[in-house]
Amino acid sequence: MKLKQLLKLILINITQNKMRTFLTTLGVIVGTATIFLVVAIGKGGEAQINEQYSKLNVGTIIVMAAPRGRVVDPLTKKDAQLFLASENITRAFPVLRGNGDINYDNYSTSGNYMAIQPEFQVSNNLIVEQGRELEEEDENKKNKCAVIGAELANTLTDGNPSEIVGHSISINSRKFEVVGIYKAVGDSGSGMSYDDSVFIPYSVGERFLLGTRANPTINVQATSIDTVQLAIEDITAILNETHRAGGAEQFRILDAGSRLVAAQESARSMSMLLLAVAIVVLIVSGIGIMNVMFVTVKERTREIGTLKAIGAKKREILGQFLIEAVVISLVGGVLGVIVGFVAVPLLKYFELPALPSISGILLGLVFSVITGVFFGFYPAWKAAEFNPIDALRYE
Amino acid sequence: MEHGAKIVIDTRQLVKIYQNGSEELKVLDDVNIKVSNSDFIAILGPSGSGKSTLMNILGCLDIPTSGQYYLDGLDVLKASDNELAEIRNKKIGFIFQKFNLLPKLTAVQNVMLPLLYRGVKEEEAWETAREKLSILGLEARLHHRPNELSGGQQQRVAIARAIVGTPQLLLADEPTGNLDSKSSGDAMEIFKELNRQGNTIVIITHDIEVAEQVRKIFYIRDGKIHENG
Ligand SMILES: Nc1ncnc2c1ncn2[C@@H]1O[C@H](COP(=O)(O)OP(=O)(O)OP(=O)(O)O)[C@@H](O)[C@H]1O
Ligand SMILES: [Mg+2]
Repeated sequence: MKLKQLLKLILINITQNKMRTFLTTLGVIVGTATIFLVVAIGKGGEAQINEQYSKLNVGTIIVMAAPRGRVVDPLTKKDAQLFLASENITRAFPVLRGNGDINYDNYSTSGNYMAIQPEFQVSNNLIVEQGRELEEEDENKKNKCAVIGAELANTLTDGNPSEIVGHSISINSRKFEVVGIYKAVGDSGSGMSYDDSVFIPYSVGERFLLGTRANPTINVQATSIDTVQLAIEDITAILNETHRAGGAEQFRILDAGSRLVAAQESARSMSMLLLAVAIVVLIVSGIGIMNVMFVTVKERTREIGTLKAIGAKKREILGQFLIEAVVISLVGGVLGVIVGFVAVPLLKYFELPALPSISGILLGLVFSVITGVFFGFYPAWKAAEFNPIDALRYE
Repeated sequence: MEHGAKIVIDTRQLVKIYQNGSEELKVLDDVNIKVSNSDFIAILGPSGSGKSTLMNILGCLDIPTSGQYYLDGLDVLKASDNELAEIRNKKIGFIFQKFNLLPKLTAVQNVMLPLLYRGVKEEEAWETAREKLSILGLEARLHHRPNELSGGQQQRVAIARAIVGTPQLLLADEPTGNLDSKSSGDAMEIFKELNRQGNTIVIITHDIEVAEQVRKIFYIRDGKIHENG
């Protein structure tokens, strides 16, 4: 029999049993939709990571206190200067972070502040929108001035940021004069948005806000991406030399490149986990298909006998039932992709980045077809192997 | 048997034994029959005597426990599954007692099937099927499903399906058993006409009236076959 006629015959059987076909496809729908979404989430996550890290210079190295470790003698401004002696390092500057109450004109909010040296603005692409940036002179003279992020400026002024420049705000009850506002930069990738922070000169932060509790991180810029490892070795050597009490062990040295790799890896393992879930769903739904196909073959045993009596070959019977299973699973696959597309905006609503892709559609459909072939084969093979007379006599 | 006529069916020492648990049931015992081209044969016998068993072997649907069966000179018991499928498709038209039409297909689709399995193009198969159905007076029922047809009409669809591929041999297992005498008479007329056109026909029947209209009768009793022509 020609494939076209075989397909017609199969469609007649499938369409006359729409409800069963639909119920059979349910599992495949869920499985395929899951695979589609796994790929979409994977792609979305990857895109998000790449976007975040595109803002981060890959030559950036961050030296900070090891998490949960006891720091015997913290990093200092002086360490940053020592790092600069390395030929592999072009920039090194300390940064202090903290949070507290920020007040402006009777409006109060709690927020982040960062004490930075002017170079920080260069390496983090912070550009002023209004007023001026923090300058060397502010650092040297310990000027109590501040530049604030776009978002924070908006919040403090209730949507009228320009008015704040030239006025004073207070951070933990210390007064600072606002000299400028940065342009919005979006998420920094470090979990803390610059747009929501206020920036003050390092020396001022050290002296007035954090005092002896100051425990800075040091941002280091390697001369190039190739010298990052050398720079890390130099930093380790210097820390071992200058912090004899605790050594370099009490600090953590991170470079942006390896953080990017780590983030990508965790996104990938998340995808793998979801993929495993999807495959389990498909296996379960495949077993469902197998069950239904067994019932179908059983119900149509006499019909199979008749077909054999009028000349159907084994492979034609096998083909008919196998293709029937594949068509059912493919219908489920297509519906699953559609369900997946519908679910994407839903995921976005829950702030899961999802990016539909051709490869997601194909992977979903391929898996649904594989499910149909794999689980449809045995019942179809059974049908093909019937001996005509036994099939005809079957009650 | 007409002299020099070609032998279509030739069985030698056919034996069929059913194994029911530890009990053996010998349904066919040394059955030797010859049917030549254009013969019209009826097989008679009491219920359970093995008529259907013999017919299924002749139709290549079942195999004997021992013996030989030559169909049109070909040793059927040595044929592969695929060859058997081809023989059933091209050389034999089988009419079942319960018609065995496919319930989801229309009359014309049912009749087309043997041609489609033969690889005939759809349009051509459709035209041939329509032609056969109109010859059998079902021109107006082409698109009816079996459950929308009367018993006699279903019977005629089954006959159309059996003859659509112009097989040499028509086998009918109690084709009139489920019909009233009018429809049964009609079916016999169809068989007689087909026989006149050269088809070799073997039918099983309980009906003496039917048996009287054929050229030769085989009786089966206790697994043995007796010829009475
Ligand atoms: N698959 C089987 N297994 C065991 N015994 C069988 C089987 N098929 C048929 N028989 C037995 O073989 C005998 C012959 O059966 P068969 O169907 O050939 O009879 P029949 O002559 O066609 O009868 P009827 O006129 O009632 O149709 C019966 O006694 C039946 O019980
Ligand atoms: Mg019988």
